[in-house]
Amino acid sequence: MSEPILEVKNLTKTYSNGVQALKGVSFDVKQGEFLVVIGLSGSGKSTLLRCINNLHQPTGGSIVFKGEDITRIDGAKAKKVRSKIGMIFQHFNLIPRYSVYKNALSGAMSRTSTFKSIFGSFSKKDKEKALEYLDLVGIKEKAYIRADQLSGGQQQRVAIARALTQSPEILLADEPVASLDPATCHVVMDYLRKVNRELGLTVVCNLHFLSLVREYADRVIALKDGELVFEGSPENIDEEWFETIYGDAAKEVHIN
Amino acid sequence: MNKNKQVIFQSVLLDGLIFTFVVLSLLVYFVNPSEDQLLMLSRNTFLSLGVFAFSGVVVFLLNSKGIHTIGHILFAEPQLSEAVQEDVPWFKKFWGIELIVAFIIAFYASFVVTEFSFYELFSESGFLGAQRIFSSLLNPNFEILPRAILAIIETIFMAFMATVLAVPIAFVLSFLCAKNVMSGHKVLFAIYGTIRTLLNVTRSIEPLIWAIIFSVWVGIGPFAGMLALLLHSVASLAKNYSELVECISEGPVEAIKATGASSLQVVWFAMVPQIVLPYTAFTIYRWDINVRMATIIGLVGGGGIGTMLIQYQGQALWNEVGCLVLVIAVVVWVMDTGSAYIREAIK
Ligand SMILES: Nc1ncnc2c1ncn2[C@@H]1O[C@H](COP(=O)(O)OP(=O)(O)OP(=O)(O)O)[C@@H](O)[C@H]1O
Ligand SMILES: [Mg+2]
Repeated sequence: MSEPILEVKNLTKTYSNGVQALKGVSFDVKQGEFLVVIGLSGSGKSTLLRCINNLHQPTGGSIVFKGEDITRIDGAKAKKVRSKIGMIFQHFNLIPRYSVYKNALSGAMSRTSTFKSIFGSFSKKDKEKALEYLDLVGIKEKAYIRADQLSGGQQQRVAIARALTQSPEILLADEPVASLDPATCHVVMDYLRKVNRELGLTVVCNLHFLSLVREYADRVIALKDGELVFEGSPENIDEEWFETIYGDAAKEVHIN
Repeated sequence: MNKNKQVIFQSVLLDGLIFTFVVLSLLVYFVNPSEDQLLMLSRNTFLSLGVFAFSGVVVFLLNSKGIHTIGHILFAEPQLSEAVQEDVPWFKKFWGIELIVAFIIAFYASFVVTEFSFYELFSESGFLGAQRIFSSLLNPNFEILPRAILAIIETIFMAFMATVLAVPIAFVLSFLCAKNVMSGHKVLFAIYGTIRTLLNVTRSIEPLIWAIIFSVWVGIGPFAGMLALLLHSVASLAKNYSELVECISEGPVEAIKATGASSLQVVWFAMVPQIVLPYTAFTIYRWDINVRMATIIGLVGGGGIGTMLIQYQGQALWNEVGCLVLVIAVVVWVMDTGSAYIREAIK
């Protein structure tokens, strides 16, 4: 945990409908850390991750990834950068009709020419990689089953394998366990930690539950109404901070 | 307030038209104009517009007096029309009476215009005609069966070729006229609008008309019929397909984009798998429709069994026509059942 892999400075994002989702957010992500982003629904967590890998264009500020400014890029450059940033979604977003293996392999798309990929001809190395990562998340034996026949937790593991097949240098996870039951939740989070520790991959993960934050995060940042209101280690989120971050909703959450 | 003005405008337009229709119908009934008088277009237009303007004013006055017309009931927000709350049955309210009167007049007028006649339908000479044609149709002349089969094969292939050629064209067009694909940029949106409009115009012209156009262009025969079907199929399929593209779920699209894939890869990996089955279902259905249409198109010189049918009909050879009708019925029934079966299976 030394020099930052990602530097976000004064980032703003205003959507075309006038919603100000991010109002000047600054933070660093250190090489190899497991950073968790918390905040209420609508606080801008998803927007932040989507700005980082250029799925949304930031309105202002800057994002520096491995020393390179990637704030305003498009075309081939944007694709190149996206290929180095893996992403996992709340609803897994697998291709339902494709096999688990083909889903994992689709992570290699950016290294395969459009023509070759349309005919399904991926390189031998990429095929091995896809199987290797399916093995890593413990789902290799289901490689030739259709993705939509897996349970939610299994689908999310396939999504992790797909992201790893990209050979990314950082992994963004947008509420990866929000649609899973508590037990499955831990299985998926444990695989994310494994990826972080064993492969040394930097992880930025949006989370809802404070208990998970305490268990998995190296460091936490909190967003509220598009602004950064906390940055520090998970142990430092005490009662007072908790109420600052979650406002009135804090009392309800507390009962759980 | 703005909404209020819009409601007034809409109800004046709709009720104005209804009132005009009622007044003009009564006028025709009582004045009983001659054909010459009916053909005086400019004078009649002037008269109609006058009645329409007058009706509009009447409707406006009625509504402002709190007497609600059909348009008001249809377009006004519930809270705007107090009429809803009153405890009077609908047919005793003004709009109910307006509806009933307009409907009765329209129904009576359609009797007169279509020359509806129980006498013709059930008179003795009428019965004789019916007997003659049915007895011939039910005694088909099977000598022409071999030629009928060749002709219907021609028709089926005409439909098949039109469908097959239409699929790739409609496939490409369907992405170009899908709102979610094309809304990213002004230029894209302009292309979307242009293609949509062209397709709508093409689709609104019946294949029968296209067949007439192409039979002059490339000569009477199956080729003209195939071109007509092709054009219509492209327009229809592109619309069906693009609606499917528009309800693609965004998740996989975003996920594939996030891997750094190119736009074509996103289309191929994230969009196509979501639509391929419904595409197939629509395509099979289109082929089925095309076989039926190909028969009709044949009637105006598009080749195939339709052309054969119109030739025998022209010579009043009803036994031969009977044979052709039978062949068509069998093939259409088989196609219909088969395609429904396949579509059910791939759901
Ligand atoms: N594509 C969009 N267009 C317009 N407004 C958007 C869009 N996406 C998000 N927003 C708005 O931006 C704000 C932040 O949304 P965002 O999805 O980033 O929040 P979030 O913290 O991820 O919330 P959640 O926990 O519900 O996922 C919200 O007010 C939301 O309505
Ligand atoms: Mg979100």
